[in-house]
Amino acid sequence: MGHRAVRPRAPRRHLNPPPEATPAPPPVDRIPFTVIGGFLGAGKTTLLRHWLTHAAGRRLAVLVNDFGELNLDAELIAQAGGDAVALSNGCVCCSIGDDLSGALIRLLDAWPPFDAVVVEASGVSDPWRIAQYALADPRLRLDGVVVLLDAAAVAAQAADPLLADTLARPLAHADLLLLNKTDLASPAELAAARAWLAAHAPAGASVLETVQADLPPALLGATLYQPKGAGWAADGPRLAPPAVAHDRRFEAWATAPAGRYDAARLRAWLRALPAGVLRLKALLPAADGGWLEAHWAGRHASLKPLPAGTPPPEAGAQLVAIALAGRLPRAALAAGLRACHT
Amino acid sequence: MTQTTVYVAKRIVTMNPAQPEATHVAVRDGRILAVGDLARCAAWGTCTLDETFADQVLLPGFVEGHCHLKEGGMWVWPYLGWFDRRDPDGKVWPGVRSMDAAVARLAEIEAAMPPGQPLVAWGFDPIYFGGERMTTRHLDRVGDGSRPIVIGHANGHVMNVNSATLRLAGITADCEVEGVARYADGTPNGELAEPAAMHLVLRQVGNAGLLAPMDEAGMRGFGRIACRSGVTTATDLVNRLTEPDLAVLRQATGADDYPVRLLPAFQAFHGTHGAAAGAEHVRALQAGNTDRLRFGLVKMMLDGSIQGFSARLRWPGYFNGAPNGAKNGIWVTAPAQYEADFETYHRAGLTIHTHTNGDEASEAAVDAIARVLARAPRPGHRHTLQHGQMIDRPLFGRMAALGLAANLFTNHLWYWGDQHHDVTMGPDRAHRLDACRSALDEGVRLAIHSDAPVTPLGPLFTAWCAVNRVTPSGRLLGAAERLTVAEALRAITLGAAWTLGLDHEIGSIECGKRADFAVLGADPREVAPMALKDVPVWGTVLSGRVHRAAT
Repeated sequence: MGHRAVRPRAPRRHLNPPPEATPAPPPVDRIPFTVIGGFLGAGKTTLLRHWLTHAAGRRLAVLVNDFGELNLDAELIAQAGGDAVALSNGCVCCSIGDDLSGALIRLLDAWPPFDAVVVEASGVSDPWRIAQYALADPRLRLDGVVVLLDAAAVAAQAADPLLADTLARPLAHADLLLLNKTDLASPAELAAARAWLAAHAPAGASVLETVQADLPPALLGATLYQPKGAGWAADGPRLAPPAVAHDRRFEAWATAPAGRYDAARLRAWLRALPAGVLRLKALLPAADGGWLEAHWAGRHASLKPLPAGTPPPEAGAQLVAIALAGRLPRAALAAGLRACHT
Repeated sequence: MTQTTVYVAKRIVTMNPAQPEATHVAVRDGRILAVGDLARCAAWGTCTLDETFADQVLLPGFVEGHCHLKEGGMWVWPYLGWFDRRDPDGKVWPGVRSMDAAVARLAEIEAAMPPGQPLVAWGFDPIYFGGERMTTRHLDRVGDGSRPIVIGHANGHVMNVNSATLRLAGITADCEVEGVARYADGTPNGELAEPAAMHLVLRQVGNAGLLAPMDEAGMRGFGRIACRSGVTTATDLVNRLTEPDLAVLRQATGADDYPVRLLPAFQAFHGTHGAAAGAEHVRALQAGNTDRLRFGLVKMMLDGSIQGFSARLRWPGYFNGAPNGAKNGIWVTAPAQYEADFETYHRAGLTIHTHTNGDEASEAAVDAIARVLARAPRPGHRHTLQHGQMIDRPLFGRMAALGLAANLFTNHLWYWGDQHHDVTMGPDRAHRLDACRSALDEGVRLAIHSDAPVTPLGPLFTAWCAVNRVTPSGRLLGAAERLTVAEALRAITLGAAWTLGLDHEIGSIECGKRADFAVLGADPREVAPMALKDVPVWGTVLSGRVHRAAT
């Protein structure tokens, strides 16, 4: 039939059902949502396996096309059955099948909520379409679209007229491109891959060359700026040093900006942030005496007042930005920020 | 003591070229014992002469090689399509030809519903409304505006909702999702496209329409529609075949009075299983095959739909361009992945039916299958390309050389023929849309299909499309591609049976085959070709059991 298949679905099953007597859960922050794209063989599964096994206390919910391929160590698996595998480190891995919506609904029903949701796009799908779920669902916040490319193969794949558009399409909205398997590529292949990327990636895209898809899971927004598990302390929100600060491939800029800020100008600035920034978070005093929380991830900005009842940050205004090493536009950020003063 | 029943009919059209016509058919143990005159049938000894069909014409039971059981399961929701459509109980739902008509129908249904329950309707297709779009301004006129209303579009990718549903789903002007259509002032107008936008609604109202699971009532509904259409064998051409799916299939077909033989095709795309595990699953299920439930088909999918601009087209691509500016459609499965998985299922001895709408997808399938067959020859594989709407003669020639069958979507000629001519592919390729004549000339085994519920189940209508190739605007699309009535009848019987590997068992009326008949009120070869779709269907016989169509 048409594009959409007809499919009955297995009955809904809670991954982590709340006990009967549990009172209604308190409102929670939006869960960061990351999409991993890339053609067959680019290293998506390797990346996800790496994140699942190095989750470092974060409870990740990972949605994949086929968890057989993940090949997780048996001792890591606490419980397996049906469409889901629960890991002993608190993470969960679920099969998307052909019903991402259904799989997400089940995940979002889980309590306590997961620290991050990571979705593997199929080799031919456009990850930006999946990222739309994070823009749609009030429980989710788009944290990034990471697209992997096989350094040894991408130039040859892109030369196939059947695949050229399929390979290029996902680049348009990627906030981080991983040119992976550089160790397996010949110098000529690597040069061809870089040239293809230069021709097809959007201007200013962040490209990181990797081996074994070794992207630090710390880049996931869940704990990038604050300690795991903490509610706001009595002295109010405080941004932690970014967890990738010690990774030489990344560069962070932390500052305590002065002055008060105009929300409309900040919003406009965030929407046109200079190229190179991967992640940005800020707590800034507003013109009306309240506080604003700014967030930029997945090439996507949000700005909102601190939730009611949050103590004001005693540490004052804070801003942390992260980029690939050598790509952080500090001067442009500082100038742009100044222009948002009231 | 075995019973022998001899049916006498006004005429029996056997589709057996060695004996095209007869007046009597003897049935024993659900199979055809003899065909010819009374003497030939009576020669087998004691028999009962049954005159039920004395005024009817018998044809082999029709075989629908590409439909979905959902044809019977959609009717728990009201129908809102452009064309008239008959439900399982025989009631004709008139086509909805204006927004006002849609509002009026919904208002009537809404008034009779208990409070609180959302109103879900299906089959709406704005492609016929000449650019006019349904919005909240229409749907908010239904009832007092408090009940959530969800209108599923025929393509399954878009829905319209009313303001109450927008509120329930939390869709406001601030919602950034790309699929949320808007009024000029930026507020959502109720049209939601693509899964992410629809997800917000499905979270609130639950799965509806195509997404709802098949149930027992839907299975019975499908049986009634099949019986009324003369269909005795049908596929369910994509099924996950999980335990709940299997339970529904087994329960329905396990009843002796279930009127149709079903062949569910295992869903081998979207990576729900590794191919090896999938092949093993289907092989294990085959061991439990019954007369009315047969496993062994595998469904794979390469591209999307032409009218949705998601099919993969060769040069020169889409005629008036896709609305989203895309230069080509999408791969649902990467060609390399398709080839690898195809080989696994092929080596397991299974028959693979591949969805390819655009000609680039069809060509990619042929290329991949040619390589697989070179590595692993398997005579009599019966692999089939499904839809194949843009295949031309050279590609049919390659298919014939590989033993690949074509099951063409001829109902498109009527339902979207004008749109293909004017919008999607332009006149040149629209005139060779679903090129049945080319397929036969090139020596390809041919079936034709409805893809119900995308279009209604009804092989005589499907044959009518292949014979007449007319569109609602009165256009004749590709006169040279028309089939004769005899060829079209073959395509809906023996032709489709061949693609399912069942031509030794069904598809014609001859000794040894299943006693499957379509019982018709006239000989379809004798009516005017334009009246082919209107030949009355009395009912069917499945493996010797008579099923009268509900009236």
